Amino acid sequence: MTDELTTAAEVTWCPGCGNFGILNAFKKAIRRLEKTGLGRDRIFMTAGIGQHAKIFDYANISGFYGLHGRSMATAQGVKLANPDLTVIDFVGDGDAMGEGLEHLLFAAKRNADITVVMHDNGIYALTTGQRSPLSEKGYRGPSTPRGSEEEPFNPLTLLLEAGATFVARSYSGNIDHLAEMMVQAVQHPGFSFLDVLQVCVTFNNKYDLYNEKVEIIDGIPDSREKAAALARKTNTLPIGIFYRAERPPHHEALYGSHHPLNKRLSRKNRLEKIRQVLRSM
Amino acid sequence: MREDLFTFLVGGEAGHGVKKAGSVAAGIFARMGRGVFQMDDYQSLIRGGHNFSVVSTAAGEISSHYLKANLTVALDARSYQMHRKHLAEDGIVVFNADAVEGGEGVGLPMTAEARKFSHPELILGVGAVAVLACGLGWDKDKTGQFVGEAYPGGAESNIAYAGRIYELAESKLKGRFELTAGERRRPVLSGNQAIGLGALAAGLDAYFAYPMTPASPLLHFLAERAEEFGLAVMHPESEVAVANMAIGAAAAGARAMVGTSGGGLALMDEALSLAGMTETPLLCILGSRPGPATGVPTYTEQGDLKFALHKGHGEFPRIVAAPGSIGEAGRLAAELLDLVWRFQTPAIMITEKHLAESRMTVELDFKEAPWAEAVRPQEGEYRRYRDTEDGISPVLFPPSGQVIKWNSYEHDEQGITTEKAEIIARMHDKRFRKGESLVRQMKELRTVNVYGQSGPLIFTYGSSTMSVLEALRVLKTDARVVQPIYLEPLPVWDLEKYLGSAPIVVEQSRTGQFASLLREKLDMEPATVIRRYDGRPFEPDKLARKIEEVI
Repeated sequence: MTDELTTAAEVTWCPGCGNFGILNAFKKAIRRLEKTGLGRDRIFMTAGIGQHAKIFDYANISGFYGLHGRSMATAQGVKLANPDLTVIDFVGDGDAMGEGLEHLLFAAKRNADITVVMHDNGIYALTTGQRSPLSEKGYRGPSTPRGSEEEPFNPLTLLLEAGATFVARSYSGNIDHLAEMMVQAVQHPGFSFLDVLQVCVTFNNKYDLYNEKVEIIDGIPDSREKAAALARKTNTLPIGIFYRAERPPHHEALYGSHHPLNKRLSRKNRLEKIRQVLRSM
Repeated sequence: MREDLFTFLVGGEAGHGVKKAGSVAAGIFARMGRGVFQMDDYQSLIRGGHNFSVVSTAAGEISSHYLKANLTVALDARSYQMHRKHLAEDGIVVFNADAVEGGEGVGLPMTAEARKFSHPELILGVGAVAVLACGLGWDKDKTGQFVGEAYPGGAESNIAYAGRIYELAESKLKGRFELTAGERRRPVLSGNQAIGLGALAAGLDAYFAYPMTPASPLLHFLAERAEEFGLAVMHPESEVAVANMAIGAAAAGARAMVGTSGGGLALMDEALSLAGMTETPLLCILGSRPGPATGVPTYTEQGDLKFALHKGHGEFPRIVAAPGSIGEAGRLAAELLDLVWRFQTPAIMITEKHLAESRMTVELDFKEAPWAEAVRPQEGEYRRYRDTEDGISPVLFPPSGQVIKWNSYEHDEQGITTEKAEIIARMHDKRFRKGESLVRQMKELRTVNVYGQSGPLIFTYGSSTMSVLEALRVLKTDARVVQPIYLEPLPVWDLEKYLGSAPIVVEQSRTGQFASLLREKLDMEPATVIRRYDGRPFEPDKLARKIEEVI
């Protein structure tokens, strides 16, 4: 698809890849957000490294293509420098729950005002299908030919426990629902985590499973415990908002209404203050 | 030994307020207009152990502490045992008679008196200050007033305790030391404080750090002043987060800096490479301590030079520099923040515990400090990695009507990932053209300090410079001391005249990394490499003897 939200980059996802749904939902979400007054110039995207992260090359939006597992830290740095920006971080499940888990949990703990969209295909796709921290026990990939010996994380209960104030799940096969979840996640003040069930057609094709089990949640659970119970369900895979709570966003808790760029001290004022400091030493 | 020298040493356990007493003493000498150098020797613990603070002062310039003290105050038995023999010719030990049995010198019941007040341990350092004031001939009232100002928390008890110690010491010590006044009062700063102020002067907006000695005091200093200077200061989960956050902040337009020691810098390695590839301005302060691994956290070494020179996988232009004094640390921090913004590449400033945490009187004036700015784009379509003649692509920050893409993958001018052979080579060339532009700019800067006109040639760098200059004051010999401030790119244009020479090299590393750099880059074969690698900084009199042996 070519439009003003698409770059000229050649798309190299496999035909049928769940990432297409996520990219399309992202564009849809941007258009919906624009109607609410959030201009695309204020949206800043970050991405880790993996198949998911190619969304950075394809979406014609400003941003920073970071390191594997580290984009969540980069995203927080952007927000701390300029709280006026809306920062959306696209991560993979291997990226964010493996190498970068510390940053994800701490972003939730401190309620960093960023949105993390996790492309959750349960494997490392770009590196040819090795198991991820979310692969089921027994998953056979090139690094676990006899089947993965580890149990997977439950990303939703993990993030709930870490203190995330917005936890949601959606499905790359339901673009409209996914776009709506992205909008709500972005609009939530504070840390938003959106787990996107994403099909990998080449290494971990779960289209049939997801189409059978995915079920939209009716309403929003009113406690963390109820949210966690819902997140543990396996007979169906609920999608929607699991949990939403209010807590001051990290940058406000850190420095109130200060804005490091807009309220920058002039050189003259700085030098005067430095002279005062030197006089006291 | 220098004639105008006076050294005060206070030793005790962690928790006795030893470092604070040293700092207060440094303040007394600075007020007299004298030059001061304070070195704190402390262990990586919070209570117990052995700490000492040594403050040397001279009417003229001074750039090192001396261990032979004119006045030693030993607050515990271990300090008495360790320091009683390290006295200057007419030196005297004042010791805590409640902790030391027998003992030669002046014994005062410092603990028994302290027990009359709350926090009897913490207050012992106040006693050391009272002893010094008495020795300098101050009267009791002046001493009490001064102690009240220097120790505002529980001032009343502190003044009363100082008064008691003063009375007990008066008959033996009052006016024993006569110090001449110096030229003018200058501030006493640590290297970390100087770096903080220098970076602020050049426009620092955000500081990210994870605690690690000896860089932690820089974090504390900036965190304390964050509000005053409108600075964002963040202590996140790890050094990996530190570096990646700082890069994000810089991409949003904030002048960002990070600080750590060797272990933390190791964790930042991938992010430094990221800064190189994405052309993100990033200044990293490295406070070195003895390694490898956890090493000796609170001591000093110059063992990270080659580590710093080779940080980050892949090839990209980078800057590595090391200040040779505390004042220079302030000036250089400002200069480096400016350079990383002009040239959009990472810089590492190497300090060592001896420079980062020692304190000295400095002449610092940031009137000439640069104001870090990146080149901004002209009208027209924006490309983050525009291939320009000097290799420097203009920088635009969000929000903007233009799309700005920073990319960790090799990328085209727009910042879109590429694997095209022609673009890969072209982008490598672009980044290294930027490196050449950096060298052109550096030719306008002071990149090497040269002290002295004639005599033997000595090469040194970083905190060892302070030791060498003080050793030469002891020797009273002419020598030419060459101290490269910049180590990458090494300013060969300023060092050409020394090509092929055989200098004395002074550094604090086991393998002689600095000497090795000189061999490699300047074809030098050092006549001698004077090394120290036991965690302790050089002592000027011992270093003077070593230099004397080889000249």
